[in-house]
Amino acid sequence: MTLISNKQIIADNWRLLDETHPTQPGNSIVSLQFWLDNKEHLGQHQGELGLLLSGDENPEAFCNELNHFSLIVIEIPNFVDGRAYSLAQLIRTRYQFGQEIRAIGDVLPDQAGYLFRVGFSSLQFSTQELATLALSKLNDFSHHYQPAI
Amino acid sequence: MYLYNEFDQKIVDERVNEFRHQTQRYLQGELTEEQFRPLRLMNGLYIQTHAPMLRINIPYGLLSSKQLRMFAQISRQYDKNYGHFTTRQNIQFNWPTLESVPDILADLASVQMHAIQSSGNCIRNVTSDPLAGVCADEIEDPRPYCEIIRQWATLHPEFSYLPRKFKIAVSGSPKDRAATQVHDIGLHMKINEQGLLGFEVLVGGGLGRTPVIGQTIRPFIEQEYILSYLEAILRTYNRFGRRDNKYKARIKILVRETGLDAFKELVEAEWQAIKGGPLRLNNDDIQRIKNHFTPFSYHQGASDTLLTDKLVSDSTFKQWYQQNTQAHKQRGYRIVFVSLKSPNRAPGDATDQQMDAVANLADSFSFGHLRTTHDQNLVLTDVKQDDLYTLWQQLEELDLATRNIGTITDMICCPGLDFCSLANASSIDIAQGITERFNDQAIELGDISLKMSGCMNGCGHHSIGEIGILGVDKKGEQWYQLTLGGSDSQQSQLGQRLGPSIAKENVVNAIDNIVSVYKENRTDNEKFAKTFNRVGIQAFKDKVYDSNK
Repeated sequence: MTLISNKQIIADNWRLLDETHPTQPGNSIVSLQFWLDNKEHLGQHQGELGLLLSGDENPEAFCNELNHFSLIVIEIPNFVDGRAYSLAQLIRTRYQFGQEIRAIGDVLPDQAGYLFRVGFSSLQFSTQELATLALSKLNDFSHHYQPAI
Repeated sequence: MYLYNEFDQKIVDERVNEFRHQTQRYLQGELTEEQFRPLRLMNGLYIQTHAPMLRINIPYGLLSSKQLRMFAQISRQYDKNYGHFTTRQNIQFNWPTLESVPDILADLASVQMHAIQSSGNCIRNVTSDPLAGVCADEIEDPRPYCEIIRQWATLHPEFSYLPRKFKIAVSGSPKDRAATQVHDIGLHMKINEQGLLGFEVLVGGGLGRTPVIGQTIRPFIEQEYILSYLEAILRTYNRFGRRDNKYKARIKILVRETGLDAFKELVEAEWQAIKGGPLRLNNDDIQRIKNHFTPFSYHQGASDTLLTDKLVSDSTFKQWYQQNTQAHKQRGYRIVFVSLKSPNRAPGDATDQQMDAVANLADSFSFGHLRTTHDQNLVLTDVKQDDLYTLWQQLEELDLATRNIGTITDMICCPGLDFCSLANASSIDIAQGITERFNDQAIELGDISLKMSGCMNGCGHHSIGEIGILGVDKKGEQWYQLTLGGSDSQQSQLGQRLGPSIAKENVVNAIDNIVSVYKENRTDNEKFAKTFNRVGIQAFKDKVYDSNK
């Protein structure tokens, strides 16, 4: 897996929390359900927390929890499923989340520019080759008609 | 018309380069067919029965002569010397090769044209009234607003992977010449009680398998909020539209399943949150675009003596004048329909020579501009009355003066089984049969809208035809379902099913029987739709099915 952000490949300092050993320290990504069920324990977590969402998640289910997280991860099940775009947009503008929003799952390099423009700040690709292609595709368009986020 | 600035030009040029690269990656196996599919569709490229089909946008139906010549050139260089004008103000080429498409798109970009979002699950070409700016009944010219919407929708980062395609049409007149009521969003320009300009917003209309007439979601929205309101509808649709079944993914199904009131609440809540944001238009934004659509410098006090003479001396010309031209809001001018419904070609088709010639006629007689219509014809909108006779003679020579605008032979027709991989049945040969049968009596029969689709996807809009014909597959044979009483004018209406489907060889006779019931029952100048509404469907049913026994 290769991560891009700020027009470059970056190291991934996060891992998915092993729900069987939730006390392991370090920057950890948790599912919304696991967070809701274990909020109190996770409050003591050593390291930053990230929240994993699916693209069709209703923001009302998590919007009051955002201040516990320094990363939101949105999983795109299929590259033609555009719900994650609206979800990221809402998290960024309506709920004013200022930290990293990451797209994982089925993402085409061709979609990188679109994803960054709706509020994602990092994208994960399965290979370095795809990540590099995605970076080059960020230069495909020099102008846009819509206001950027 | 709107002319690209440097910024607009750069976007279409960059889009061509992007697609060229995507096509290369596909041909080199770096993109799978599944990955390439939505990318090519958003550049207008379908894979059809015989070859790829390329659909090119004609934004809100407005074309310059230079652009039309480019279509002619493309049809010669990359296709088989013709193009097909569609119901949504696009042109389609049926025979390009996949490898040539980036070059075609580059040629189009050189005349400020593109195929961006002419297909795919995204916001499609914005369509409008082909008589915008020249018809007398207009509240406001919708074209500047269409252009504003076109720009907003182009490569929209959030709405490029919608549940399904999304079509917007805008009308500036009470008479609906853009089928706005059967669009995902239909916008009607209105002036409210305070004298402010804005739009009535209809949502959830559409044809296809489940034809639905759009409903009013907001009786009035001021012009400054039109983009934020559209954005609110699109965001709601993108989030909640069904993605589990492509036949239930259009916004009409979401509106139906949610209920109009609940859907409206979602949209209004979203809109309240964004209405003051960057999408709010100010007068300068609007005026900047409006400046591109100022009226032509019309010749004041143009003579009409030649016209008056010729109307008396040439009865064929007079018939054409009455059938194929309309009043212009400027005295001394006339709107001329160029019929693409000659008995010699498939409905909506034009050859390269015809396109070149019409471009020349537009230059000579109509300020170098023309329009395409929802009914698959062309329009020269601004012709001096005393030029009409010369123009008519030239159109006659080009086989573009068939005197049938609005009649039964001016039918809307999809490409059908001959070209389309979705179709169940052919449409073009049925259209030809109907044209042959009714060619001589079309004018006498008056206005009859006949619309035909080769399958239930309904590209030929059969559900809103006064006579609708739908091709169906019955155990591998081509059969046709007839509907009567549909309408796409002021108040759209879906046609009623006449009865069991009819075998191919009997379709033209069935239409003949329908027409004969009309002729027997009409009073004076009563039009088909009115007679049908008065007489009811049974009389037509009896005639068609009794004589079929």
